[in-house]
Amino acid sequence: MTVSVDLDNRPSLSFYLSVGLVAGSIIALQIGIMRVFSVGSWAHFGSLVVSLAMFGFGLTSAVMCVGKGWFERHWEGAVKGALLAFGPLMVVCNLAAQQVPFNAIFLISDPMQKWRLLANFVLYFLPFLAGALYLGVIFLKAKKTFSRVYFADLVGSGLCGLSVLLAMYFLKPDDLIMAPLLLWLAGGVLWFVALGDRRGIAAIVGVAILSAAVHYAAPPLLGIPKLAVSDYKGVSYARKFPDAVRTYERASPFGYLEIYSSSYLHFAPGQSDNAAFNVKKMPANAYLGLYIDSEGPAGVIKDLPADETPYFRYLPMFYPYLLKKDPNTFVVQFGGGISTAVALKSGSKHVTVAEGNPALLTAFREDKGLRDFTGDVLNNPKVTVIDYDGRLYVAGTKNRYDIIDLSLADSAGLSSPGGFSIVEKYSYTREAMTAYMRALTPGGVLSVTMWNKEEPPKSVLKLYATMAAAARDVDGGKDVAQKFYVVSSYLSTATVLYKRDGFTPAEIAQLNAHTKAMSFDEIYYPGFKVDTSTLPQILSDYRDQFFFAGEAADPTGPSEKEPNDKPPPGAPTEVKADGPPPAPIVPATVLGRLAWHYLIDGGWQKVADEYVFDTRILTNHQPYFAAYIKVGDLLKFTDRLELVQDEWGYLLLWATLGIATIFALTLVLFPVVFGWRTIFSRYPGKAGTMLYFLCLGLGYIIVEVGMISHFILALSNATVSASVLITGMLVFSGCGSFFSERFLDRSRTFMPKVFLAIFLILTLYAFTIDYALDWIGTLPYALRIVLCLLLLLPPSFLMGFPMPTAMTTLGRLGKDHMFLWAWGINGCFSVIGAALVPIVATSFGLPAVVLVGAVAYLVALPAFFSVLMPLEKERPPGTKLGAA
Amino acid sequence: MKRRTFVSGTAAFAAASVVSPAFAATVKPYSWDLNPPTDTRDNFIAWGKGRGEDPVFLGQRWDRFQALVKNKDIWGQATIRAFLLTPREEFASISPAIHKRAYEHAFLDIGYGVTMSGPHIQGRMTNVIDVKRGEKVLEIGTGSGVQSAYIANLTENAYTIEIIAPLAARTRALYDKLIDKGYTEYKHIKTKNADGYYGWEEAGPFDKIIVTCGIDHVPPPLLQQLKAGGLMVIPVGPPGAQRVLKVAKTQGADGSITTSREDIYGGKIVPFVPFTKLEGDKIAGTHNR
Repeated sequence: MTVSVDLDNRPSLSFYLSVGLVAGSIIALQIGIMRVFSVGSWAHFGSLVVSLAMFGFGLTSAVMCVGKGWFERHWEGAVKGALLAFGPLMVVCNLAAQQVPFNAIFLISDPMQKWRLLANFVLYFLPFLAGALYLGVIFLKAKKTFSRVYFADLVGSGLCGLSVLLAMYFLKPDDLIMAPLLLWLAGGVLWFVALGDRRGIAAIVGVAILSAAVHYAAPPLLGIPKLAVSDYKGVSYARKFPDAVRTYERASPFGYLEIYSSSYLHFAPGQSDNAAFNVKKMPANAYLGLYIDSEGPAGVIKDLPADETPYFRYLPMFYPYLLKKDPNTFVVQFGGGISTAVALKSGSKHVTVAEGNPALLTAFREDKGLRDFTGDVLNNPKVTVIDYDGRLYVAGTKNRYDIIDLSLADSAGLSSPGGFSIVEKYSYTREAMTAYMRALTPGGVLSVTMWNKEEPPKSVLKLYATMAAAARDVDGGKDVAQKFYVVSSYLSTATVLYKRDGFTPAEIAQLNAHTKAMSFDEIYYPGFKVDTSTLPQILSDYRDQFFFAGEAADPTGPSEKEPNDKPPPGAPTEVKADGPPPAPIVPATVLGRLAWHYLIDGGWQKVADEYVFDTRILTNHQPYFAAYIKVGDLLKFTDRLELVQDEWGYLLLWATLGIATIFALTLVLFPVVFGWRTIFSRYPGKAGTMLYFLCLGLGYIIVEVGMISHFILALSNATVSASVLITGMLVFSGCGSFFSERFLDRSRTFMPKVFLAIFLILTLYAFTIDYALDWIGTLPYALRIVLCLLLLLPPSFLMGFPMPTAMTTLGRLGKDHMFLWAWGINGCFSVIGAALVPIVATSFGLPAVVLVGAVAYLVALPAFFSVLMPLEKERPPGTKLGAA
Repeated sequence: MKRRTFVSGTAAFAAASVVSPAFAATVKPYSWDLNPPTDTRDNFIAWGKGRGEDPVFLGQRWDRFQALVKNKDIWGQATIRAFLLTPREEFASISPAIHKRAYEHAFLDIGYGVTMSGPHIQGRMTNVIDVKRGEKVLEIGTGSGVQSAYIANLTENAYTIEIIAPLAARTRALYDKLIDKGYTEYKHIKTKNADGYYGWEEAGPFDKIIVTCGIDHVPPPLLQQLKAGGLMVIPVGPPGAQRVLKVAKTQGADGSITTSREDIYGGKIVPFVPFTKLEGDKIAGTHNR
């Protein structure tokens, strides 16, 4: 084989295209694996697995750094081998990983699970290793024109990231692996075209056909799953119902949506137990189960005849309709349509309903079966549909509503309500609540219902505090005591009603009568009296529930043990023979009442500080219900993890950060240990250079991942936000990389300005971007995407400069080992940065995330001068800076 | 002593009918007079061996019994007897992966997306509903079958419904196998493969109901089939960190029916105590490490 490309001197276009496509294939594989985990088991483990797989880059860098000579001599063989292995590895490893699925819920109780998890790590690591080797060798060979190769790398990654999102419309999650496979094939063919290697082309086409054949043929032949969906995912139960029929299925970037019909599906979220004794006819076969990425079910409700709707009265979302006749109603989130059905059947003269997931709207608007079943609810003349987030619509509209309903939005999961994932819940933030409250007519009612299935309570306390804070914002800090009415049902739901002009005594009496009829618990109403003497006991009991140090008191023991028990203060001590039975004491309910007492009368912060869990309000900067463990208590939970299973998503972030840090340091220090005195002996400024690439690795990814969360504010969908960010940032940075070459000879004076500019722009964004995004969120969708991209352009373009400038400089100075090592450091700290983002976001807020990124670029400024230091003693000819 | 026997449930499954008629009883058949000793481990094992059980599992059962008592998960004599008479290993035997772990403080995967709850929560729930002899108890969610196995030692009238057909058939077949083996107490259990949402109207009303499946509301038919003054318990939350909701149904003098919800601990917050892990007679750390 004759090699016809000199990678440092005008390689052909197909070479750059190959780099772009293979780099794109790597990012497509990351996205694909994340989707596989979302649908099959749990998205958070997907991020963990992908994060660690990215250490393929670190490992490649370390190995190449130590064995640089070998790789330079055998570079074409290494590239060819890596290329030919990458495609088959993704298919085979993915298939193999599906045969050893691990189950998060057994991670602690079943000793086998950790080996399965390890197998998943190893299997998904292998393809990335091959991909990284391809890029690493090419970077090494093209080190003097690195900025161009890097341009191809970034732009390719950005555009292919977008293409895999589009591919999600055509490929179901179990076949999504075909997207990276096709990109790899294209990149591989172009590589061999660039080399003029016909046998290579034939080989890679053959390997690709074989790989695809394995993916499609092996599972049916061997009777194994292509994508193993955990038995514990909601959809797995539905599939086991004897009469289950899948009536709808659609894959899109907005999730893999399935709808099942079965007589075994029953929905009445939060229904009062009293319905059992008072409702003559409960509807039967009235529901379909809606599953997104195998999670659910959310109930899709049939268009019920009038004699089957009385049970709506027993649902918590019925409350506002007690007070408002013929209301103009706004439903913040359509979901499966129960709130909309309640609104229509409870006399609303008009219902405006918003839904931010286009896939749901498409299903309900276009599928004939669904339209027939729901009475074509979205085309009902009384219904207006808003096809983006209700929160954004309400903030921008001049319309005013008598009732605004936010009920059990996107919390379909029944076994893990309110917990599990670190997800931005912008619909529940202080800013969103303020917008809902302001959009009410003078006598209008906001009704928010949430799952109340946590003991000790967590999410509901956050909701209570958030709504109280929002009411103060709306009313200029005035007394809001008259404006709330709160009920809950133990281990079921909690409902908060806010009335713009306050509840009248007659209304309170009416609501109380209803609460009694429902056997719900009154949590707060104007004039509600609470015995605050129980507070210290409850706070200490809840803390003891997790951190008790002494002998266990007997909670349920036989009567002779009773004297040892602490009876709850205020509990009735005697029961009169013929009187009513004493009301049961439910600590969570009492705590809810105490919370409202202190929220209304002041002093909540002190209570919150003493409570075992974090109850900070949700804001656009910290829109999280999860992450309720106080950071100071984290380590204390390590031996009692099963008690906080709904917090594992958050704990997993810390675990990821810990593991990533250990991995990164090991890989980064590997060349140091083996070559500090040998390989690097002539390299001045080692520490500075290391710091420089560490900052770039951290800074870039922190800004990227942090901005994905930020931009959901405007784009209202995590998938779209991720794709706009990945594509926008990488493409703009790629362009920056391309332009950076022009300034290479002036880098000593030019780059400090770039760093300062990045720092200033990011700092400005940290504090102001929310306002811009809130405004952008009210515009038509296409315009929103364009404006978001424009916002990204300035920082991303500049952030494309530092990496290639420094890498090319290292290449031209002949600091080859440093070149490889720097690439590895950058990769390793990218993984750490990605893991750091949600932790910083949950603890300090999203602006802090962007600020951390800004500071990283500021620190890189002085460190850049270490990169510029020439090699000691022998200086290879023609490597003077700027000799382009 | 009045003894009642039940034919197996209404559902006739192929798997359920796979009963080997030649299978001879290998354990001493059940009687209400069976009373395992609670004084020493050795006495208990000796007694259990006398009934025909495996001494290794008997030892584990004793150790777990000690942990349950220490943790105050069981305290009533009837529940203690039920625990000591119930061979968890037989119910875990459906999967080799969990067979030997039957007495661990852990929920175990039994397939079909269903877990067999740990002995501590099962012990607590069994003791809390305080089943009296003769009471009718309905369980929604048969699963591994072990919860109803405890109930079968407390009353002759245990009813259990499983929604997943193959699991219902598997557990029914297991009961039949165990009955043949001599565990005749499982004749007290009537099984049915059906949607538990609608309860078991023909068999009701019930004194106690145990619901062990996730749902967004308490099924109205179950509340209807619960006797006034009856008690329903429902574990809520992820396995391992479940809270047990207790719904009490009461009828006022005027005939009006009300329900109340509370925790099974009756308003007391239970302090966390790490479960002690016993290996033989020695305490070897906790189960969390």
